[in-house]
Amino acid sequence: MRPILLSGHERALTQVKFSKEGDLIFSVSKDHNACAWYANNGERFGVYKGHQGALWTVDVDPNTVLLATGGADNTIRLWEVKTGKLLKTWEFGTAIKRVEFSEDGRLLLGVTEKRQGQLSTVIVYEINPDPEAEQTSEQSLRIVCDELPKVTVAGFSYLSKYIITGHEDGSVSKWDAKTGELLQNVFVHDADLQVTDLQWSQDRTYFITASKDKTAKLMTVDELEVLKTYVADTPLNSAAITPVKDYVILGGGQAAMDVTTTSARQGKFEARFYHKVFEEEIGRVRGHFGPLNYVAVSPTGTCYCSGGEDGYVRVHHFDPPYFDFK
Amino acid sequence: YEEEDDIDYSDLYEQYEVQMEEGLDAFVVLDGLPKVPAESAGKLTNFVLKRLNTAGKTSSERFFMPIDEATNMTGGYAFVEYETPAQAIAAVKSLNGTALDKKHVMAVNKLTDIERYGREGRIDEEYKAPEIEPFVEKDHLRWWLGDHEGRDQFVMYRGDNVGVFWNEKDGQPDSIVDRQHWTESFVQWSPKGTYLTSIHAQGVQLWGGPSWSRQKRFAHPGVNLIDFSPDEKYLTTWSHRPLQVDEGHPILSVEEDGKNYIIWDLATGKALRSFVTLDMPGPSTDPEGNPIKKKLQWPAFKWSADSKYVARMTPGQGISVYELPRMNLLDKASIKIEGVVDFEWAPATPQREGIKTYEQLFCYWTPELGSNPAKVGLMTVPSKEIVRTRNLFNVTDAKLHWQSEAAFVCVKVDRHSKSKKSLATNLEIFRVKEKGVPVEVVDSIKDTVINFAWEPKGDRFVLITAGEIPAGAAVPPKTSVSFFCPEKAKGNQIGNFKLIRTVDKKNNNAIHWSPNGRFVLVATVLSQQSFDLDFYDFDFEGEKDEKDKDLTANLQLMSTADHYGVTDIEWDPSGRYVATSASVWKHRMENGYHLYDFKGQLLREEPIEQFKQFAWRPRPARLLSKEEQKAVRKNLREYSRQFDEADEARRNTANREIVEQRRRLLDEWLAWREKTVQYLREERED
Amino acid sequence: KEHLDTIARREVIQKKKETAANAQAAREREEATKKKMRAQQLLEAETQRLAEEQREREARRLKAEQQRVQREEMEKQIKELKQGVKGVDIDSLDIDELDTGRIRMIKLQALEKEKNEIGEKLRITGKRLDHLERAYRREEIKHLGEDYAA
Repeated sequence: MRPILLSGHERALTQVKFSKEGDLIFSVSKDHNACAWYANNGERFGVYKGHQGALWTVDVDPNTVLLATGGADNTIRLWEVKTGKLLKTWEFGTAIKRVEFSEDGRLLLGVTEKRQGQLSTVIVYEINPDPEAEQTSEQSLRIVCDELPKVTVAGFSYLSKYIITGHEDGSVSKWDAKTGELLQNVFVHDADLQVTDLQWSQDRTYFITASKDKTAKLMTVDELEVLKTYVADTPLNSAAITPVKDYVILGGGQAAMDVTTTSARQGKFEARFYHKVFEEEIGRVRGHFGPLNYVAVSPTGTCYCSGGEDGYVRVHHFDPPYFDFK
Repeated sequence: YEEEDDIDYSDLYEQYEVQMEEGLDAFVVLDGLPKVPAESAGKLTNFVLKRLNTAGKTSSERFFMPIDEATNMTGGYAFVEYETPAQAIAAVKSLNGTALDKKHVMAVNKLTDIERYGREGRIDEEYKAPEIEPFVEKDHLRWWLGDHEGRDQFVMYRGDNVGVFWNEKDGQPDSIVDRQHWTESFVQWSPKGTYLTSIHAQGVQLWGGPSWSRQKRFAHPGVNLIDFSPDEKYLTTWSHRPLQVDEGHPILSVEEDGKNYIIWDLATGKALRSFVTLDMPGPSTDPEGNPIKKKLQWPAFKWSADSKYVARMTPGQGISVYELPRMNLLDKASIKIEGVVDFEWAPATPQREGIKTYEQLFCYWTPELGSNPAKVGLMTVPSKEIVRTRNLFNVTDAKLHWQSEAAFVCVKVDRHSKSKKSLATNLEIFRVKEKGVPVEVVDSIKDTVINFAWEPKGDRFVLITAGEIPAGAAVPPKTSVSFFCPEKAKGNQIGNFKLIRTVDKKNNNAIHWSPNGRFVLVATVLSQQSFDLDFYDFDFEGEKDEKDKDLTANLQLMSTADHYGVTDIEWDPSGRYVATSASVWKHRMENGYHLYDFKGQLLREEPIEQFKQFAWRPRPARLLSKEEQKAVRKNLREYSRQFDEADEARRNTANREIVEQRRRLLDEWLAWREKTVQYLREERED
Repeated sequence: KEHLDTIARREVIQKKKETAANAQAAREREEATKKKMRAQQLLEAETQRLAEEQREREARRLKAEQQRVQREEMEKQIKELKQGVKGVDIDSLDIDELDTGRIRMIKLQALEKEKNEIGEKLRITGKRLDHLERAYRREEIKHLGEDYAA
C-alpha cells in the first residue's frame, strides 16, 4: 500500500471524509480551511475559504453537491462542492464540533460546544439539495443536552429515524429524530473518557464508536447493544468500518502533551486494522508523526485515508492481497 | 473481576480493628473432657454444650473439639466461641472446675489468657500451643505441585489487582485467582512457594491452598518489609516506624513497644522476639547539617541455611547469633569481630572435607584497622571455630558471594593503588569443601567489577566490569562481560578458574542465571538508553573451539533481544522461561512484561497499564530421591513420547477450538445481519 | 612594326612568364600550406596517439590496482571466513576463481547455516529440558500425598 500524501494544510487535520463515489476526499484543519482532493492521485480539487477559526468538522451530501463545515468561529457553512461558492452561514453562540448529513441528504445536524452558561445542543436543519435554492434559517429540531453530559459526536441512523449521540462521559444516547425525545442512554466506554468518534456502517443500522479509553465498540442502532469490542493500547480518536471486507480501522495515539518521554515509539501513531467479527488485530500502518485524528474509508472499499495531528492526510489504496485475505 | 466477592473485607477489618482488641476474648478453652472415639464426638459435644449454654450462648458450629488422627479419639479438650466476651468471662467464672462425671472435671479458661500466659514463657516446653484458627479444615498447601502438566505459577500485581496464573506452554496464561485490593503495597512468595504474602497497614497475611484462603496473619502495624526463614517456619517483619504497643494489646506485648523488627513463629502465629533497627555507622548529617539517608541493610537478620540460627551484625563490633526456636542469644553473648563490615551465611550446609559433623558457616570481612590488614574470615556455628582467615591489602571495599551449594565463596575485593587513585578488583575464591579451604586469586581484572554471579549448582561465574566514568559524562561507561569456568582437571577435582571470553563495548549491568545453571541472561536494566538481553549457553552442544578444549564450558551466545524500559528479570523455577518486566514503580513507559524461553525467543509480550510486579511461584526442593531422578532420566525417551503426543493433541484441540469459535462468531454475525437487513427492507417499504 | 611586334611579343612572353611565375608561386604557396597542414595533422595524430597511450596505461594501472585491492579484500574475507565462521571448507576454495560477491554469499550462507544449526541444537536442548522437568514433576505427584500426611 503505497500512500499518497495530501500536503496543503498547515496545521493539524481534524476530520476527513470521502464523497459517496469515493473519488473525492474532503479535509478540514485547524488552519481554518477546508480542502477537496482527488482520491486517486492526491491532486487538490479546491479550497473552501471563509471560516474565521479552526475547523472541527466536515460532511458532504450523498450527491457530492453540498459541503457542510463547522468550527471554532461558531458557524456552520454550506458550500457548493463544484464551485466553492458559500451558500449559507448559520451562526451560533459556541463552536461547532460536528456536522453530518442524513443518508438522503435532506437533513443536516450540528453539535454545539458547551461553554459558559451555554448547554451543548444538537440542532437540525432541513436542506434543499439544489445549490441554487435558498436555504432555511429555521431549525427543524433542537435538542438541548441539559441532563446528560455534553455531546461530543452525533449522527443520523437509517431512514433518519434516530439521532445517536456520543458523550463526554463515555456514554451513548439515542433520540427520536422527529421529536427530539431521549429514548435511551447507555454507558459503553470507561467513565469520564469521552467518545471521540462515531461512524456508520453503510446501511446505518450499526455504528462504531471510538474513545479515549483505548477501545472502539461496534453497536446496534435499535438496542444500543455492544456487539464487538476492539481493544487498542493507546487512546483512540477515530474508528471506521470498512465496506466490502469485514474490518474496522482505528486511529489514535498519545497526544504530545501526555507523552512522558520524547521517544517516538511511545506515541503509537498507527492506523490499526481489526477483524470486525473476530475482534482480532490484523495489522498496523505506520507513517504519521503525530496522533491520527481521523480515519475514513472510501464507500467503495478500495482505499482509506487518515488525517493526522502532523498536518498530513495519508491516502492508502488497498493492494490486491488485502482483498484476498480471509 | 467476579472473584472480588470472595474476599471478605469485613473479616480483614475485624481482624485488625476489632478482633485484635476483643475478637479472641469471646473464646474459651475447655480441658479435662473425656476422651471418646470420633464417632461419639457429637454426643459429647451436645452434652458439654448443655453446660456451656448455662453461662452464655454458643452452638455446635462454634464448638471445636480436635480429633487425634493417630488414635481416632477426641483429645480431651475443645475450643468454644461465645457470642460476647462477657459471656466467655461468665463461663470461666461459673463453669471452671465443673465435674462432668466422676472422673472428669472440666477446666474452662479464656483463650486470651492462655495466649498471654504462653507468650511470656512461664509455662513449660511441653505445653501444646492452641491453634488460633482451629475451625478451618487445613488445605493441602502444596496442591499446586500436583499439576499434571508440570506447569509453573506466577503472581502479577497491576493496578489494584493481584492475580495468580498458570504459565501455559503456548498461549495465554490461565487465570487461577484474581482479587482486587489483595495487598496494599506488594506481594511476596514464601521461599518454597507455600504462601503468598500480602502487605497491609496493619500487618501481613499469608494465603495459600487451592482456595487461596488466608492461612496466617501477623499484626505489625506499619510493616514495610518481610523476610522468611529458608524453611518457612519463621518470618521477620520490619517497619521503619517503631511499634507503639499499649497495655492490653491482644497479640503484641509491651515487650514489642518501640521495636522495628519482629521475628514470628509461623506455626503458632506468635512473636518470638523483637528488635530495634540499628543505626548504621557514619555521620547522620552531612557537612551542611542535612540528614543523610542511610542505605538499609536488608535483610539485617540473616538466616542460616538450616533455619536454626538467625544473625545480625552490629557494624564494626560483632555478630549476634540467635538460636531458633527460642531466639536466645547463642552462648549468651554476641560474637566480637572488631571492625566487621559485612557477613553472609553459607546458603547450604557445607560438607567440608575431613570434617565429621557439618556445621553452619558464615563468612565476614573486616577492613584495615591501624597496622592490621583487612581480613576475610570463615566461622562455624554453633562451635564458633574460625576455619580460615585471609589477609588482604589496599582494600577499598569487599563483597561476599557464596555459591549456592556453599562450595565456594568469592570475595570480590576492590583495591586501590598506593596513591589511592586507580581501582582494580581481585577475586579471592575460597574453596570451602576442599581440605584446608585453599584460596584461589583471580587478579587479572583491570577495571572495577560492578557485578558478579556464580552459576547456581555449578562452578562457573560471570562478571561485569566498567571502566572509569569520565568526569561530567552524561552516559554511563561501556561495560565488559567476562565468563569464567574451571579448567579440566583429573577425577572429581575442580581445576583453576580461567577466563573463557570477554565481550567488550556492552552496556550490560545485570546477570541472571537460570536457577539450574548452564544458561545465563546478561542484561541492561533500569537504563534510559539501552535494554539489551543477551542469552548465553555455557554447555552448547555444538562444536567446541580448539582453544577452549581444556575448559569445562562451551560458551555460545544463543540470541539477543531488547525489552524497552526493562526493570526486572526473573527466571521461572524450572529454568525453561524468563519473565522480564517494566514496572510502574520505576517508570511509566510501556509498563508490562515479556516472556522468553531459555534461549531468548520471545513468546509473549503483554503491555499492562499500572503494571507493578511479576513473581514466579518458587517450588520446594525436588521430592524425588536421587535414584528416582536417575530412573526418570533413564526412561526419558518414553516420557518424551507421551509429552509429544499430549502436546500435539493439545495443539490440535486448540486449533480446532479457534476455528470453531470463529465459525460460531461468523454465523452469529451473519444471522444478525440477515435479520437486520430484512427489518430495514420492511421499514423502507413503509 | 617588327619592332612593335617584338615588343608586343616580348610583352606577351613577359606576361606569360609572369603568369607562369605567379601560378608557380601560387602552386608553391598552396604546396607549402598543404605541407604545413599535413605536418600539423601528423603532429596532432602523434599527440593524440600519445594521449591515448597514456590513457591506456593509466587504465591498466587502475585496473591492476583494483584487482590488487580486490584480491586483498578477498584474502581478508577468506581469512575472516577461516576465523570467524564455522563450517566453511576453505581448502576447497581457489582465490583466483572467486569474487567478493561470491565470498560474501558463501559467508552469508555459512552464517545462515550456523544459525540454523545452533537453532536446531537448542530446539532439541529445549525439548529435553521441558520433558525432563515435566517427567520429574509427574513422578513427584506420587509423593504429594505422603507429603500432606506428614
